Amino acid sequence: MACRTVCRTLHRGFASSPAVVRPSSGGVHGQRSAVFSREQARQRALYPRTEKIEVVLHGPGLHGTLLIMNKGVSTPHSCARHLTEWHVKSSALALVDGEPWPLHKPLIQSCSLSLLSFKDKDPSLVNQAYWRSCAALLGQVLEDAFKDEYSVELLGIPELPVTSGAFCCDFVLDPQLDSWNPSEESMCSLIRGAQQLIHQDLPWESLEVTPSVALEVFSHSRCKQEEVEEKAAKSNNGTVVLYRCGDHVLLSGGPLVARTGLCSQYEVTAIHRLGEGAWGLHRRAQGLSLPFQLEAHHTVWRKLRSRATKLVTMPRESSSGAVPDLTLTQPPAPVHTHPPAPPQT
Amino acid sequence: MRLTLQMLISHGRVARKMGLGPESRLNMLRNILTGLVKHERIETTLGRADEVRFYAEKLIDYAKKGDTDTKAMKMANFWLTEKDLIPKLFKVLAPRFEAQPKGYTRMARIPNRENLDKAAMAVLEYKGNPFPPLQPAKRENELTLINQLLKGYREEQAQQAKTQKD
Repeated sequence: MACRTVCRTLHRGFASSPAVVRPSSGGVHGQRSAVFSREQARQRALYPRTEKIEVVLHGPGLHGTLLIMNKGVSTPHSCARHLTEWHVKSSALALVDGEPWPLHKPLIQSCSLSLLSFKDKDPSLVNQAYWRSCAALLGQVLEDAFKDEYSVELLGIPELPVTSGAFCCDFVLDPQLDSWNPSEESMCSLIRGAQQLIHQDLPWESLEVTPSVALEVFSHSRCKQEEVEEKAAKSNNGTVVLYRCGDHVLLSGGPLVARTGLCSQYEVTAIHRLGEGAWGLHRRAQGLSLPFQLEAHHTVWRKLRSRATKLVTMPRESSSGAVPDLTLTQPPAPVHTHPPAPPQT
Repeated sequence: MRLTLQMLISHGRVARKMGLGPESRLNMLRNILTGLVKHERIETTLGRADEVRFYAEKLIDYAKKGDTDTKAMKMANFWLTEKDLIPKLFKVLAPRFEAQPKGYTRMARIPNRENLDKAAMAVLEYKGNPFPPLQPAKRENELTLINQLLKGYREEQAQQAKTQKD
C-alpha cells in the first residue's frame, strides 16, 4: 500500500515535469542566434586579407557588366547596390553560375551572376523560394505566438508547388494544448505578428555549416536534430544550410528570398489537425501570400484565400487515390492533376 | 461670291479635300482601294488611309450581296481598276467576312515619312490577311506567382464542377 502511494506520487511527479527541461523560448532563440553569429564571424575571419574577385552580371540591359567585388564579403545584394535602387528592391534571389544563391550569402570566387525578380520571363525558382520563405515566416510567427510555458516544435516545411494554393508549416504544440482550436482572434493575432515581421523588413541570412555546428544550434530540440541529420545525409558535401531571420534560426529545403519586406499581402488562412504522429498531435498551419510587385485585387484575393483554407496535401499523397484519414476537419482535398513541382537545381 | 472670312476658316468641316478636286479625289481613292484589294495591306498617308477605310468597308458590304447582283457588280467594276481583282473580291474577301457585320479593316499609324514633308503615315489592312500581325497580342506571363495561383484555382474549380456533374 505504501508502495502504491509511493508509485502514485512518483508517477504524478514524473507526469507533471516536462520530458525535456526547456529554457524559455526567448532564451532558446537567443542561444541559437549566438551560435549562428559565432559561426558567421568565424567564416568571415577565414578571409583576413581583402582579395578581389570578378563578377560578370547577366540580365536585361546588363549583359557582360563586370564588377570587382571582395571575396568572402560581397554578396549579390552588394552587387545590386552597385546598380540601381530598383535592382536592390526587386531582386529576390540570385543565380550564381547557374545555381540558386541566397541574396545575402557571400560570394567566394569569380563567377557569373544574374539577379532574379518576380517579374522575369521564368520566375519559377523565385516563386518556389518565395513559397518556402513565407512558410518559414509562418513557422517563426507560430514559435513566437504562444506563451513561454507552452512548447512549439516546428516539424518542417513540406515542399509544395505554388499551384496547390497555399504554403504550409507542420508543427506540434505542447500536449496541454491538444484540445486547443484556433479562433478568429487567434488567427488575426497570428496575421498581425506576421505583418509586424514583414514591416520590420528583416533579411534572411544564410550560412553553410557542418552538421556538428547545426546540431549544437538545435541542441534543445530532438526533432530538429533529426532533420539536420536527414539534410546532411541528402546534401552533396555533407553540409547543412541554416537561415536566420531576426532572432530565429531555421532549416530549409532550398534557398529563401532576400528579406521579409518582399511580401506584401500575407494571411494565415487555417490550422488543420493531421492526427497523432511521431512527436504528438501534428498540426498544419496554412497561409497565403503575394509579393509587393504582384498584389491582387481584393476580389481575387478573397477567392484565393477561400481556396487556401482547405487542407493542402503533397501531390504524391493525393494522386495515390487513398482518402487520407488524418483530415479531421475538412473533406479530402481534390486530386491534383498537374505534374509535380520542377526539381530544385 | 462674297469672299468672307468664314470661307477660309474650316471649323466643323468634315469633308476632306484630296488631289485637284472631287473627281481627282475619287480617282485617287479608287487607286488606293485597288491596291488594298490586291495586296490586302498597304501603307499610305494618314488622311488617305482614313478616307479609303470607309470605301473599303462599303465595298465589302456590296460584295457580300453576291456577284449575281447587278448593283454590286457595277460598284466593283467602278472601284477596282484592275478587272482581275473583281473575282478575288467576290470569291475570297466576301466569304472571309461573312460572319462579321462590320469592322473588316484595321488601321495602324507608323513613323512619319522620311522625306522633307514628314507626312504622317498609316498602314491599312483587311483583317484575316496572311501576313504576320501588325501589333502582336501581348500575353501576360503565365508563370508569375499570381497567375500560377489562379491557374491552380481554375483547375480546382473545373475539378469540382466535373465531380458535381458526375
